[in-house]
Amino acid sequence: MSEVTGAVPGPPLNRMLVSVLSLIGFFVAIYLWAHNAGLTGPIVCGVGDCATVQSSEYARIGGVPVSAIGVGGYTALFLLSLIGLQPPQRASRTIAALLLSGSAFGVAFSGYLTYLEAAVIQAWCQYCVASAIIITLIFLATLPEIGRLKASRT
Amino acid sequence: MSRSEERRQARDGGGDMKKLYIVLGVVAVIGIGAVGYTVGSGSGGAVSEPIIVEGLDDINRLVELAQGMTKGDPNATVSIIEFGDFQCPACQQFATQVKPQVELALIESGKAKFIYYDWPIIEAHQHAFLAARAARCAGDQDQYWEYHDNLFRNQTRWATEVNAEGTFIEYASSLGLDEGEFASCLRSDRHAEVVTANMELGMQLGVRGTPTIIVEQGGVPRNILNWDFQSLEAYIDDLLTPNEGA
Repeated sequence: MSEVTGAVPGPPLNRMLVSVLSLIGFFVAIYLWAHNAGLTGPIVCGVGDCATVQSSEYARIGGVPVSAIGVGGYTALFLLSLIGLQPPQRASRTIAALLLSGSAFGVAFSGYLTYLEAAVIQAWCQYCVASAIIITLIFLATLPEIGRLKASRT
Repeated sequence: MSRSEERRQARDGGGDMKKLYIVLGVVAVIGIGAVGYTVGSGSGGAVSEPIIVEGLDDINRLVELAQGMTKGDPNATVSIIEFGDFQCPACQQFATQVKPQVELALIESGKAKFIYYDWPIIEAHQHAFLAARAARCAGDQDQYWEYHDNLFRNQTRWATEVNAEGTFIEYASSLGLDEGEFASCLRSDRHAEVVTANMELGMQLGVRGTPTIIVEQGGVPRNILNWDFQSLEAYIDDLLTPNEGA
């Protein structure tokens, strides 16, 4: 996994951003998961309708709550970014590829869920929207990994 | 790059990482606090508005789910049905001024039974749904009507509170109910389904305000606009009098 080239570079700012954002995303997802498990009672919604979204058939995929998938995804991104911040891994192509592909998958999955909210369920849950925004920001923050992939190839 | 420069860079990087760990620590503390508070606090658990109930558009399912609370002889042929809201001043007037007379003259005599359906006007009355659930939680301990009357008697007090949960628990305690059991019921979604179904039933029956008083006999419901005691009694006596003119 470690392909260190030359001197140890400083910690990449974009990975720092990914770690902070994915930790925030983790807590949003875990809140939704706790709600799904009946631990929080009714979801607190100032706007939108989380109850409709959370009780819809789309709130689970193969029996697994979507929020649990979110918890897993954010955890993976958080750990990857932290590993990628350690001096031996700062130039790692593997970490760069995993961060980029993981966040791209996350943003695509989130886009699909947002589509379901808008077109099928026709209700908005602000926590789901918050998660969609967070994963989009994470994806944007991982774009510099493309440069890292190209640089390490040369 | 010289060895000293490398050392300096590593040192600078270490400083950045330290700042990052501080930020991550702050995010973690806030996150754990927010989720922990929501999971642990009672306020997150008390359902105070209608919930999603599958299949309410099916009339058979709606009739099965919607359940009024009945007082009096269940075999009485005449039913006095109220669609009411615990936070509605007009319902308070009915409950405190008309219903006691109705109970004495019509319910206890076995002429009619009284059925109360919840119809909280949630747009205007923020505690109405919770109050409906609270009364049913008291009903779990066989004191629905005592709690029902208590809510209406004290309406002006709890209706103006920001959070009525504590007051509702206090009322349960004053009636000698098991406070822990009541609080546990109130801070859950118990009875939210039936209250929601009652609201939908009211909508289907054309209820648009509270109190809506319906007198039913032989499956024929009649909406009573003048629900003062004299009018109600006269109407029911008339229903129970054999039709001599036929």
